Amino acid sequence: MDSLSHLISGFGVALRPFNMLLVVGGVGVGTFVGMLPGIGPINAIAILIPVTFASGMPPESALILLVGIYYGSQYGNSISTILLNVPGTASAVVTAIDGHAMTRDGRGGQALAVSAVASFVGGTLSIFGLVLFAPVLASWAIRFGPAEYFALMVFAFSALSSFAGASLSRAAASTAFGLWLATIGLDPNSAIPRYTFGQIQLLDGMDFVVVTIGLFAVSEVFQLLEESEAGQAAATMSGRISVSIRDLIANGWTMLRGSAIGFLVGVLPGAGGTIASFLAYSTEERLTGPTGRFGQGDPRGVAAPESANNAAATGALIPLLTLGVPGSGTTAVLLGALLGLGITPGPLLLAEEPDLFWGLAASMYVGNAFLLLMNLPLVGLFVRALTIPRWVLIPSVSALAFVAVYAVNTSAFDLVLMTLFGVAGYLMRKFDFPLAPVVLGLVLGPLMEKNLRRAMALSGGDWTVLFDSPIAITLWGLALTSLMAPVLLRRWTDLPGVDASDFGES
Amino acid sequence: MRGEGAEEIHASGRHDRIAGSILALIGLATGLEAATFDVRFMTDPVGPKALPLLVAVILFGAGAGMFTRPRTRVELPPAAAARRMVLAGLAFLVYGLLLPWLGFFLSTSLVVAVLGLLFGGPRRGSALAGLSLAATLWLLFVVLLSLPLPIGDLWIR
Repeated sequence: MDSLSHLISGFGVALRPFNMLLVVGGVGVGTFVGMLPGIGPINAIAILIPVTFASGMPPESALILLVGIYYGSQYGNSISTILLNVPGTASAVVTAIDGHAMTRDGRGGQALAVSAVASFVGGTLSIFGLVLFAPVLASWAIRFGPAEYFALMVFAFSALSSFAGASLSRAAASTAFGLWLATIGLDPNSAIPRYTFGQIQLLDGMDFVVVTIGLFAVSEVFQLLEESEAGQAAATMSGRISVSIRDLIANGWTMLRGSAIGFLVGVLPGAGGTIASFLAYSTEERLTGPTGRFGQGDPRGVAAPESANNAAATGALIPLLTLGVPGSGTTAVLLGALLGLGITPGPLLLAEEPDLFWGLAASMYVGNAFLLLMNLPLVGLFVRALTIPRWVLIPSVSALAFVAVYAVNTSAFDLVLMTLFGVAGYLMRKFDFPLAPVVLGLVLGPLMEKNLRRAMALSGGDWTVLFDSPIAITLWGLALTSLMAPVLLRRWTDLPGVDASDFGES
Repeated sequence: MRGEGAEEIHASGRHDRIAGSILALIGLATGLEAATFDVRFMTDPVGPKALPLLVAVILFGAGAGMFTRPRTRVELPPAAAARRMVLAGLAFLVYGLLLPWLGFFLSTSLVVAVLGLLFGGPRRGSALAGLSLAATLWLLFVVLLSLPLPIGDLWIR
């Protein structure tokens, strides 16, 4: 087993004391932000990117930290979902049905335990998938030329847009907004300035950290201010947090199926933890038939979505690392981080940066082990964080965001830009425009334009080159098919009492 | 996902019409500006115009679609909430403008205190939160991570 020996050397990287520290910090922050509604992993990662850049840590360490937040948040999101019926992230929405029903029954502790174990099963099994499939996909993608990459990116955009909730035209407008932001600055080919409005600061282009924090974090502040001052719901835990062997056996197959569904869905662009959790839940519900107590506090209703959304998070790393094409807003931010660190993800990444890839994979085992520890015996500590009053929490997170945005270019001008993007983000939310496609467009836009121009330069201006190879035609076909997918998906996951309107991934 | 239009057309689709026209206008402006991206020597057959023109077409189309088929009813925030939001936006903006002059410590203390008050925090608590947070962040970033934060021109001269 080639992968196995690589993985063992990866542990050599992951178990360095500094990297161990980072993985614990990352998954801890991830659990925290996944749990607290309104902060979200995308903000936490965007805030930490300038800090990791400034600290000068090696790329593999930075990635271990940032990805730790990413999958750690999939553990934390179920805590507030189960206890308060307030999903931390969209991918935990379906967990609320049975998870919160269990809390009302006085079995909140059991629900948290099932959720933690299911997350661990989904999280660790999917890493096997990552180390097995990533090399396969990489060796296959090595044949991709610029035309294929262009088609692949169109596929990523269409998939994310079609799942982003709201209407397709709004999602398309969001994508276009992101692509427009990507064109701001000096055109790399012809060196003419585009959409700089005469501002020197804009010649370098828009930084994705500034845009992401503005669109997501600042607009969230506005939105939280808009809500009526609802009193802080007190989180009470009921029942002991312990894992019984009976629970494990009863939910074993559910977790395995959830992990498999989650992983496969996660690999697809545009889909992700949210769709994965819905699919896993409705599949379990169909399989159990009338014997299950789904909707009234069936532990399998927690095990299925929680194993699925964790597996999906890992699965989504495969296209990100081996193709360099993310399928969601959060993985787009991770791509931006990698590019900023001087790493170009793609089919050659595994060969050129073995420490980075295998070190990351190994660190995810370490991280999942710590997450199990944090989410079983130590969950009480995190639950206490739910009682931090908003007037302390939100201003503190805002201040962290300010430092991060300022640190990008050590410029206060970016803070003004951030505020403008905050207003834009708030208006977009109001009018039901999805935000994630903006970030994807901004990060992927320059790569898409570069590949289009390269393909056309190679063909001497002949547009048919874009549809020349079987791979490219397949990808165009997938891009078209993905536009139909939500219709089919809605039919399958027709859950009563759930607003399945938002499959959107941030 | 709410279906494209159809069942949810509200009489009050006015907001959608306004937003749609603004979006279409932005698309138009984007396209007009893109038309000026002329280069003397084309370094590649695509040129700098293609992507911006595509963007302009999508924006215009989406805006026109929203105008002709309005559907969402946008709930405007109540007056008190709107005031809080405007104040928060101003606080963000003033922070960005004030930071180089007043320095990180004071500006951050102020903005955190103001945001704390807007989120219904007590006066002394918010002020205390601002001061302690600014101090902590300064220690963390400047001392520990040696990431430069502005001291403030006011104090340097």
